[in-house]
Amino acid sequence: MKRWLTPAFLTMLTLLVGAELVVRVFFQRSMSGRFEYGYSPTAGFVENADGTVDLVHAGGRPFWPQTFSKTRPPGTFRVMVIGDSVPRGASLATAYPAQIGEQLRATGIIAESFNLAIGGNGSARSEIILRQALDYQPSLVILHADNADEYEDEREYARAQAFKSWHPKNWLMKSLFVRRLYEVKTEQVFWKWVPANVRVLADVNDYGNKALAGENPATRLEWDGRVRKNTAESVALARARGVPILLLTAAREQDDGRGGFYLDDRGMDNLVQPMLGAGVYFLSMKDVLQKTNFAPLFTDGTHLRPDGHALIAAAVVEKLRQEGVIAVRQ
Amino acid sequence: MSFVSWQYALFLPLVALLYWQLPWRGRIFLLIAGSYFFYAMWDARFLALLLTTTVVDYFGALAIAGERQPAAKITGIGLLPLAWLLGCSLFYSTHASIEKWIFVAAAIFPLVYGALYQLLWRLPPEKQRRAFLVLSLCSNLSALGFFKYFDFFAASLETSLAKFGWNPGWTLPHVILPIGISFYTFQSISYAVDVYRGIARPSRDFFTFAAFVSFFPQLIAGPIERRNDLLPQLEKPATFDIADLHHGLRLILTGVFKKIFVADNCALLANYAFDPKTNLNGQWALLGVLAFAFQIYGDFSGYTDIARGSARLLGIRLNRNFNFPYFAASPSDFWRRWHMTLSFWFRDYVYIPLGGNRHGPLKTFRNLWITMLLAGLWHGANWTFVMWGGYYAALLTLYHGTPGLKRLNEPEKNPRWRLVASAALMFAFTLVGWAIFRSRNLEQLAGWFAAFGNWNTGAANWLHPFYWLLIHVLPLLLLQIASWKSRDEVEFAYFPWLLRGLAYAVLFLLVAGSVAPDVEFIYFQF
Repeated sequence: MKRWLTPAFLTMLTLLVGAELVVRVFFQRSMSGRFEYGYSPTAGFVENADGTVDLVHAGGRPFWPQTFSKTRPPGTFRVMVIGDSVPRGASLATAYPAQIGEQLRATGIIAESFNLAIGGNGSARSEIILRQALDYQPSLVILHADNADEYEDEREYARAQAFKSWHPKNWLMKSLFVRRLYEVKTEQVFWKWVPANVRVLADVNDYGNKALAGENPATRLEWDGRVRKNTAESVALARARGVPILLLTAAREQDDGRGGFYLDDRGMDNLVQPMLGAGVYFLSMKDVLQKTNFAPLFTDGTHLRPDGHALIAAAVVEKLRQEGVIAVRQ
Repeated sequence: MSFVSWQYALFLPLVALLYWQLPWRGRIFLLIAGSYFFYAMWDARFLALLLTTTVVDYFGALAIAGERQPAAKITGIGLLPLAWLLGCSLFYSTHASIEKWIFVAAAIFPLVYGALYQLLWRLPPEKQRRAFLVLSLCSNLSALGFFKYFDFFAASLETSLAKFGWNPGWTLPHVILPIGISFYTFQSISYAVDVYRGIARPSRDFFTFAAFVSFFPQLIAGPIERRNDLLPQLEKPATFDIADLHHGLRLILTGVFKKIFVADNCALLANYAFDPKTNLNGQWALLGVLAFAFQIYGDFSGYTDIARGSARLLGIRLNRNFNFPYFAASPSDFWRRWHMTLSFWFRDYVYIPLGGNRHGPLKTFRNLWITMLLAGLWHGANWTFVMWGGYYAALLTLYHGTPGLKRLNEPEKNPRWRLVASAALMFAFTLVGWAIFRSRNLEQLAGWFAAFGNWNTGAANWLHPFYWLLIHVLPLLLLQIASWKSRDEVEFAYFPWLLRGLAYAVLFLLVAGSVAPDVEFIYFQF
């Protein structure tokens, strides 16, 4: 009489179920909100029992590792910077959020600054981070506003939704182990080993698709509309909580076709103007940089070198002083 | 419905569960309903063609065996295709979905077939059997020829006429290729021929025969089953055996692994290398053809594994189609291992009837060339397929005509070192064959060969894709070696159960980590 379940089948089942349990029990923190790709409200924020909050790499949010107290220490000016890869910088220490803190402290202000920027985060995902950040009593939020990451926001949203429903085709992906395996293979093997021209043919070509979408005026208009809406919502959120917000609009270096470069804000400076008001300040990266020889400050036309970050930090501190934010909030 | 779709993952267990609950007759009806539903998921209209084939060969085989059926029965059953098309037309949004001439053909079919059927009975008895066989063959081959080759021959004729300065300017209808037609037509032909030869009895039950023709696990891409292999299993109720369930599930897991993990991932590189816009160099020409070799093997043998596994869940055993083809030592050996049911079909119904090797070397080579050219054409309506058949005919001629190579046709008579060397040589020949097979036209094929004159590009462009190929092929090779060693496809009884369990878990995870949007099986187009 043959058995229904063979030892080999039971071994397979035990291994698969065991792997799933290990992931769910021992990797709970890093897996929390992992497949929300930045759309989870709390992923990356770990509130500890001792009243501190760790910023960790989790849930599609590779935060620079930082720790702060859940409640702002009395007399401390707390700055939180939210945005994309530009404020995130090449390192935590050299990016402008950290330099703002340093420059404030150099002027004798008790200040702490935190870098909550994530590469590729557009206006929607920045707004989600802002909602959580406001719970930690910032004295000022700096929102690095840009319209260059809406494609990523859209793509990651689709990715987050891809396996969400209980449609039978998604059943396998309900396993965190399987999903992670799929993600690792896609991100670490497929994208790295399969050349772009091969991916183009297979219709899997992120960079090409982004460039193509960006060339379409209707898409650009749609993205601007989304940035306008989400940024306005972010501003309203900060105002509702009584937290001042500085809208720092991005600018990038463009080739002028005559061997030189010019700075392009892609319409962001105008886009944020209607949102300004009490407690809402504005600083244009373009205005700051074009006063200097800006070309050497860029690494690739979009991202800044440490001295570029220092320049932005100095401009922010100056702006806060001019607006009386520092004096008022202390 | 694709074997690797979520629909099939629900469909198969449902059919299997129902199947074992039903009495024999109910199982036959379930198989017909399930198979027709399975086929209709692609295109319900073409079920009319499947029905026509079923009707023609059912009555044809009975007539060959000398059993005359009443005219009313033939006309009645012959009306089924028309009835089906009329039913379909109610649900298609536009009338153009089923063209008028198809309705006309379906309406004429019972009349013409019925008339011919009655007419042939008037022939002298000694000629009747042959006449009914010819009727059956003509019906099957004309359907296959029209639906599969009409576009091809019409376009070829137009091109040839244009070369002589005449442009006929015909407006020819574009004929859609019904999926699986090459497979079920060949199965039906073998049935009629086997009955004619007296090695098989005709089926007297129309429904059992309909289940034989349409059996869903092998309907779309084989294995091409013989009457004496499959029909007896349908004619008597199978008894449930847990071993069949285990074996079937293992076959399905292996098949899904070959298709999703191996074939679909290798396809990325092969599609790029054989894209007309790709500027090939030597490295990519080699990488592309290697990728295609494993893509087509993973795809087709994976399909076959799933087909055989699915049938096994129903207690039905289908024939093997692959037996480590890339370990073949010679072209004859390769064709005994690759798409075996098709090779044996051509051997039994084309090569041997032509005379086989019974009339001297010249006629043997002639028969061999005819068989291989037809086998090439069977794969698709394109000259590259014919050329592929010709290439294998040339290889077979070479191996049969060269004394040193001839002995490789009998691997058991060779030492191991010679077999390994000859398998490597044969694999290289096979790769050239795949380049011919995969090229869209002769110009592209020439480009593939020319690419070997250019090895200038740096390693960076092909090294990472090569790693990609390697990580998808190595697990397959390990699996093949394990199967080879244990002399079994999927049981791996040679290994302890712990290792087997681990292997199944790894196979499952490799598949799960590679889930991609539906990619069709290559052999569906044939």
